[in-house]
Amino acid sequence: MSSVTWRNVFTYNKYTQIAARAVRQSLKESERVTAEKRGLTALRYQQWENGQGGQQVHLNPPQEK
Amino acid sequence: MLARRTLGRIASQPPVGAAPAGARNMATLREIELRLKSVRNIEKITKSMKMIASTKLAKAQRAMQAGKQYGVANSEVFQNAPAEEPAKRKLFIVISSDKGLCGGIHSSVTKATRRTFADKEAGIDADSPIMVIGDKSKAQLSRALPKNLVMTFNQIGRDIPTFADAAGVADLIIKSGVKYDGIAIVYNKFVSAISYEAAIMEVQTEDVLKSAPGFKAYEMEDDVTKDLAEFSLANAIYATLVESHACEQSARRNAMDNASKNATDMIGKLQMQYNRGRQAAITNELVDIITGASAL
Repeated sequence: MSSVTWRNVFTYNKYTQIAARAVRQSLKESERVTAEKRGLTALRYQQWENGQGGQQVHLNPPQEK
Repeated sequence: MLARRTLGRIASQPPVGAAPAGARNMATLREIELRLKSVRNIEKITKSMKMIASTKLAKAQRAMQAGKQYGVANSEVFQNAPAEEPAKRKLFIVISSDKGLCGGIHSSVTKATRRTFADKEAGIDADSPIMVIGDKSKAQLSRALPKNLVMTFNQIGRDIPTFADAAGVADLIIKSGVKYDGIAIVYNKFVSAISYEAAIMEVQTEDVLKSAPGFKAYEMEDDVTKDLAEFSLANAIYATLVESHACEQSARRNAMDNASKNATDMIGKLQMQYNRGRQAAITNELVDIITGASAL
């Protein structure tokens, strides 16, 4: 078995998200559209320090068209 | 005696600057008409919001039934490998949402968190970190427990929460490097379509799992245990997110339903008042005309 080095780079959740994205993109057209919706996330987060909020950061920056 | 009579005379004169009595009634009629129009608009809006919330509730409930299984799968491992001693420094993840007009959803989770912090028996560290999902609870907790806030998330809950949302949140929590012995997720539990209650779901960390005596029976490698801890955090967050979302839709539907009922009551009362006022004005005019006619 190849040495599993992905654990040094990202977490298991990121690993599953990448694998899921690959599976979704490989589906047949009709199933792909419904599956894509399950992978959407518009999450934004903000670090807090001493009762003060920091900048709001997009987890997946929206693509500029 | 003289003073009392003078007082009586002053009281019987109308106050300076008041419009004549007839004009005041007409102005009141206009006011009632304006209020009636605005309450009717509000009733239309709340009724349509209630319809939207009902359709969203049906979809959210189906997603909740499916999503709860993730939380159940987690709890099986934790039940077979319970922690030996309760955690002192817990990470609290508070689940709410960004939108309002949904009754007491946000304040219910905020109150549950504050109660747990104030409770001496539970023995939680006073500087336990808190992470909040949703702007409404963020505002409430940033006023109540500002020092404990570590990270906040928003833009979740516009639509049914996806596992991608939960995995993203879990990822950020783990990467943030915050220290904790256990995790407590504060969310709203769906009791029925008209009621919900705040509840806490406990998730164990990797270290606690490894030291738990029951866990040896699983015979897992360290790497895989780390994966399991991360994945069960994402599972728990997903299960609580969908359940809270369903509670929010049902609370919004109930709140808008009550608002529509109140608006309908107000319209009935205002309409009665308006009609009475209108008839009184007409009667007064008739009386004026008739007395004037009889004098000629």
